[in-house]
Amino acid sequence: MGSNFMDNLKEYFHIAWRNLKTRSLRSWLTIFGIVIGVFLIISLLSLSEGIKATITKQLRALGGEMVFVMPGDISNPIAMFMSGAKLEREDIDAIKNTKGVETVLTMSYQAAVVRYGDEGKAVFLQAMSWKESIEILENFQGWSLKEGRWPVSGKREIIIGKQIENDLFDKPVRVNSEVTIKGRKLTVVGILNSLGSKQDDTAIYLDLSIYQDITGEKKGTAQMVMVKIKEGGDVNGVAEDIKENLQKTRKRRSGTDAEDFSVITSEKMGDIAGSILAVIQLAIFAFASIAIIVGGIGITNTMFTSVRERTKEIGIMKAIGAKNSAVLMIFLFEAGIIGLAGGIGGTVLGAFVAKAIELYGQAHPLFYFSASVTPNLIIFGLVFSFLVGCLSGLFPARRASRLKPVEALRRYE
Amino acid sequence: MPEPIIKLEDVWKTYLLGKVELHALKGINLDINPGSFVTIMGPSGSGKSTLLNIVGVLDSPTKGRILLEGIDIATLSEDDLSQLRGKTIGFIFQEFNLLPNLSALENVMLPMVFQETPLEKRIARAKEILTAVDLGNRIYHQPTELSGGERQRVAIARAFANDPKVVIADEPTGNLDSSTGKKIMEILTEFHRRKGKTIIVVTHDPNIASYSQELVYIKDGQIVSNHQQAKKVLWQR
Repeated sequence: MGSNFMDNLKEYFHIAWRNLKTRSLRSWLTIFGIVIGVFLIISLLSLSEGIKATITKQLRALGGEMVFVMPGDISNPIAMFMSGAKLEREDIDAIKNTKGVETVLTMSYQAAVVRYGDEGKAVFLQAMSWKESIEILENFQGWSLKEGRWPVSGKREIIIGKQIENDLFDKPVRVNSEVTIKGRKLTVVGILNSLGSKQDDTAIYLDLSIYQDITGEKKGTAQMVMVKIKEGGDVNGVAEDIKENLQKTRKRRSGTDAEDFSVITSEKMGDIAGSILAVIQLAIFAFASIAIIVGGIGITNTMFTSVRERTKEIGIMKAIGAKNSAVLMIFLFEAGIIGLAGGIGGTVLGAFVAKAIELYGQAHPLFYFSASVTPNLIIFGLVFSFLVGCLSGLFPARRASRLKPVEALRRYE
Repeated sequence: MPEPIIKLEDVWKTYLLGKVELHALKGINLDINPGSFVTIMGPSGSGKSTLLNIVGVLDSPTKGRILLEGIDIATLSEDDLSQLRGKTIGFIFQEFNLLPNLSALENVMLPMVFQETPLEKRIARAKEILTAVDLGNRIYHQPTELSGGERQRVAIARAFANDPKVVIADEPTGNLDSSTGKKIMEILTEFHRRKGKTIIVVTHDPNIASYSQELVYIKDGQIVSNHQQAKKVLWQR
């Protein structure tokens, strides 16, 4: 009985397949509708999944026992990064004096036009208090030099990300090359090995005091502070203490207790990035789902047409002994195959486009993307589209299965 | 007298055309006995197609009882009735009614699919019966690749696939030329004689009726005559 049942399903599948083949243009058009929807889901999800993986990797590279202090409110990241708010010298001292803090790295960053030869390109400048930073960067974040040496603090020396060497300017940048930033000449003393992300590999790194000379930023301030806490310390506890000290300092200085800064641990930072990405992914999924629903309506439509055209065939099948369930299965399979075929097409196309965008990103610096086409995503795409097909075919198939044999036979006679 | 394989008791079929009631069948009583060869004749509009649908349990009567092998079909669910119909009755239609997307072999196998016959048995049986109707070398052809007579032979093979007790043929030669029609009737007669199948044929062609032993003449929804010896009756005309 069981094996006969499976055998029958195979037979119904076979009949459904034959039916689809005989109306191929309409089938293909319907399939195309599903392809578009699944393509959107697969390509967008794999790209956003890829971005998520990259960010997670970068955050993990920072290590678990770091605390970040930034001016502004982290819950409004755009305003925070655009406002240009600074941490003042007093703020930084307050952080340094907090119990459990081992090293404080001050950082500033901005994009600037870098001139090299005849060319000028916008590059991300990242400045750090070099003396304190170098050890942490080397030991904890895996920075290493491809060639040259680290800059000497206080000298007008820079190191460049790996991709700047050959890709940014027409003429390759070498150790001892000179570049001009905001009218000042700086010497390239080292080239970094890849840091694992496009953004980091296309930046220029320099000592904070030199950066402040060039940009006119107030000495002793910073846009961001990275804190390494002492071995075995409690990250969250130290973060709380830093927060408290900062509040006290600010209150003394301005007389208000406005909390215009954010103290977060690397773990918390990951959570924030993750939740932002989750919202983006949800939005992507919602939009792509609309495309799938439209495709599904296409299936429903084509199946209704099919039921109407083949009313007589349904009558014949019932006359020669088909149960309602047999007719239902045949039509459901038809709709499911349309959905699945669309799913296969959409998945292949989506994965292909996502990978193409990734390759484009690798070939062009300053444009970073990675695509994560996982087996799970592919399985999801296929199963989902098959189910959408079946669901879309359900109403037409039910209508087909409930036709009375004699009425179905009489139709179109 | 054996128990009739299909028994109609005071069967009425009424259609509502707008507000007008149209009585297609008016109190039909009919016994189809096992092993008989019955022809139902009548002018168009006489109700013979309706009667055929009722006899073939494709349609249910407005009033009256139909017993298929002694079972009142009103007591059966739609699925059970389909199942019983597929097993007990084979159909041959005027316009062949093969499924256009399936090959001759697959068309013949289809009734067995619905009876959940195992695959090997299905194939063997379909091949055997297609060979019996002289189509052994055309089993993989699609209906569109076959002539009218060949299609009707596939339809006959399909009708006999589940080894049913009754085969109902609705104008089986209506779309065929006379010599092809004659061959089709010979095949049907052969199944009747050799396998003892009950055959019911609806036609308005007296030549076709002459193959049968029993003639039911229907007019205005009522059986006006029921002769056990059709040949004699037709001859007397």
